Amino acid sequence: MTDWQPWVIAIAETIAWVVIGTGLVQTALYIVQLIFAGLSLAKRPPVSGSSLLWQRYGDRVPPIAILAPAFNEEVTIVESVNSLLALHYPDVEVIVINDGSSDDTLQQVISQFGLEPVDRYFDRTVAHAPIRGLYASPRIPALLVIDKENGGKSDALNAGINVARSPLFCSIDADSILESDALLRAVGPFVDNPDEVVAVGGTIRLANGCTVESGRVTEVRIPRNFLALVQIVEYLRAFLMARLALSRMQALTVISGAFGLFRRRVALEVGGYSHGTVGEDMELVVKLHRHMRDGNKPYRIEFIPDPVCWTEAPEDIRVLGRQRARWQRGSLETFARHRDMLFNPRYGRIGFLGFGQILIVDVLGPVIELLGYVLVPLLWAVGLLSIDYLLAYLAITFTFGIFVSVATLILEEVELRRFPRARDLAILTLVAIAENFGYRQISNFWRLRGLWQFLRKQQGWGQMTRRGFQRG
Amino acid sequence: MGLQGLWYTSLILSAISLAIMSWLIAARLVAERKGQRVAGERARLLALLLEPDADPQGLTNSSLSRPLLADLSVELIQLVRGEERDQMVAAAGRLGVAATIRKRLSARSPRVRVLAAESLAFFPDTESTAALERALGDRNPDVRLAAALGLAVSGRSPPARLLIERLRIGSSEQSMLIINLFQKIASDRPGEIESLITDPEMPAAVKAAAIDALAGSGDFRLVPVINQLALATDAESEHLPRYLRALGAFNHPAGAPAVRRWLNGSTWWVRAAAAEAAGRIGLEELAMPLADMLSDADWWVRFRAGEALVRLGNSGVELLAEAAEGASEPARSAARLTLAEQGIAA
Repeated sequence: MTDWQPWVIAIAETIAWVVIGTGLVQTALYIVQLIFAGLSLAKRPPVSGSSLLWQRYGDRVPPIAILAPAFNEEVTIVESVNSLLALHYPDVEVIVINDGSSDDTLQQVISQFGLEPVDRYFDRTVAHAPIRGLYASPRIPALLVIDKENGGKSDALNAGINVARSPLFCSIDADSILESDALLRAVGPFVDNPDEVVAVGGTIRLANGCTVESGRVTEVRIPRNFLALVQIVEYLRAFLMARLALSRMQALTVISGAFGLFRRRVALEVGGYSHGTVGEDMELVVKLHRHMRDGNKPYRIEFIPDPVCWTEAPEDIRVLGRQRARWQRGSLETFARHRDMLFNPRYGRIGFLGFGQILIVDVLGPVIELLGYVLVPLLWAVGLLSIDYLLAYLAITFTFGIFVSVATLILEEVELRRFPRARDLAILTLVAIAENFGYRQISNFWRLRGLWQFLRKQQGWGQMTRRGFQRG
Repeated sequence: MGLQGLWYTSLILSAISLAIMSWLIAARLVAERKGQRVAGERARLLALLLEPDADPQGLTNSSLSRPLLADLSVELIQLVRGEERDQMVAAAGRLGVAATIRKRLSARSPRVRVLAAESLAFFPDTESTAALERALGDRNPDVRLAAALGLAVSGRSPPARLLIERLRIGSSEQSMLIINLFQKIASDRPGEIESLITDPEMPAAVKAAAIDALAGSGDFRLVPVINQLALATDAESEHLPRYLRALGAFNHPAGAPAVRRWLNGSTWWVRAAAAEAAGRIGLEELAMPLADMLSDADWWVRFRAGEALVRLGNSGVELLAEAAEGASEPARSAARLTLAEQGIAA
């Protein structure tokens, strides 16, 4: 074994401490989040059936406009609109925004619902590509279709915000499947605290493996595809642990684009969704925080643990890689645009907790962890680091990872019990262990690719291929 | 803690979490087996419950029966109305369902307590009433509100002022469900809610909720009171639009002074609410100011002004048609599209 100079050893140990220290801070954040998520779940309002929810809120809920952007959705658009029109909510307007589709999306919806061109006086506060026409039918007053030139999802949503007249709007993805009482559940915080709540997010679940009939999930099953299984554990960590905890700390920085309920007026005040970013959902939430804090207005951005929406996770490794790189890029774009909020006392807990979390988990985390995969074992192998460093590094990257994932599953089982069979739980427990050996490393690589794309100022969403839900 | 400590801590935490998870999986396996029994028992109880002459002994003869029977009964009660509901409630009362639910009001979980309070609303017996009254002092605000609503729905509400104090309405309790609560109380004892509006000691949030609750009552005696309140309220108050909307809902000209005053409010939300109220009341003398509001900087104000002009009838429509032909934007678009949307030729 080579006798290394003390200064070389000191450099090696410093590198190891940076890697271990960053991982330790990340793990500590997760453990704090687990505690807060547990508290939040224990104190959450009752998860009631639709009829009780209706009895509780039915005659006091504010109207909601559902904004459903559609781009080349000719195959699924009619079923999607039908399922949106069938949602249990007393006062809802479904606004479908055809974002310059090159297929028959618009014609499908016009002919199936018997729509005709209409005039409507609408707001023009936020910018978007020109609207070509509006379509509606007196037979279905709750449906309005906007036909506009292509401008992307955020542009389509901005058109929807302008045209909507309800005080609240719900933004969804084209492939979101909403629970029939999703709106009644999500509107709760707006009813309970009408003066302060400006946005509410809900739990998104993966529909891979489930049976979908007439735009509804009728049988919950876990998928067979390993990547889809891993994503179930990831979604649990993201929603049940991180978002719920951050919401309890009032430091939530993202509401998923698949389902989010917003106060329309405040969204208009911040200029709606931003263009030129792939993280428009996170960008909107951060803009809301900034606006409300700058104006010294009391406000709350809430997250409810109730499942409100189902979405399809990619089962192909290349598609998943592109999605994750894009998410990372979106997160970094928002972080860079609003970097002055980081540790800025003016922004309180958003600056410290919300942006601190992004800095540790999204900005520094992937780079330092990947660096650690190479350097720590190498420095140990050449005798520059003792076995203690290697073990501490293994603890940070593997064993603490297992603990956090399994602890989230425990929270899920104790408080929510949404997986129907014991066998599902056993499989997910095995996946929570296995994901730390291989998947976690690949995932970090994807995030590094997102960082590279961000540094090169790459734009666009990349190709997203959908497999389609398993129909009943 | 040294580096080794980190390693051992992570191992211990992982092992503990895996042990707990294994135990939960085992518990779930047991529950799955029990689940089949529960489903069978549920089906049996449901069939018996729907039998008018069911034997009470048969309904409660197993350890599973009582909680299941309570859940099932409440589910069924929620599904029916009128006489059928009364019969179902009476039958459930005889089977001891109310007693089972009352016990749940002292459960540790606030979720269980809220559901229990909501369910007890169906049971008018004195013990259930007393249990709901006790729940008004619960440490959880959701339970307190559910108990208050439960009592009010069935006409058993304590005095409104007591509820305001117990539920901390106007201070920590801001829920819009308070309007429902006041509405329910007002359906039996309107004077109690009316007195909240005139009481100078009441917080503005309580007055606003009381006004919202009474807005559909058609009691025109309240209009001058709300009008005065609106005139005396701060221009930027978030409650002011609620007062103005209530004046609009009463549809009575005695609300005109406040509506006229606030058409020139400094905030868009006040101007929009005043415009809406002017249209609903049919204040033709405000047609010109409303036409001027078609040029307001805020879209909501322009929209409400256009809507109000249509409601005013011919005089309003003529002004809209004039604006639709005019040169100034945004009034021209507002007028043209408002008329088009209403199917009125410009």
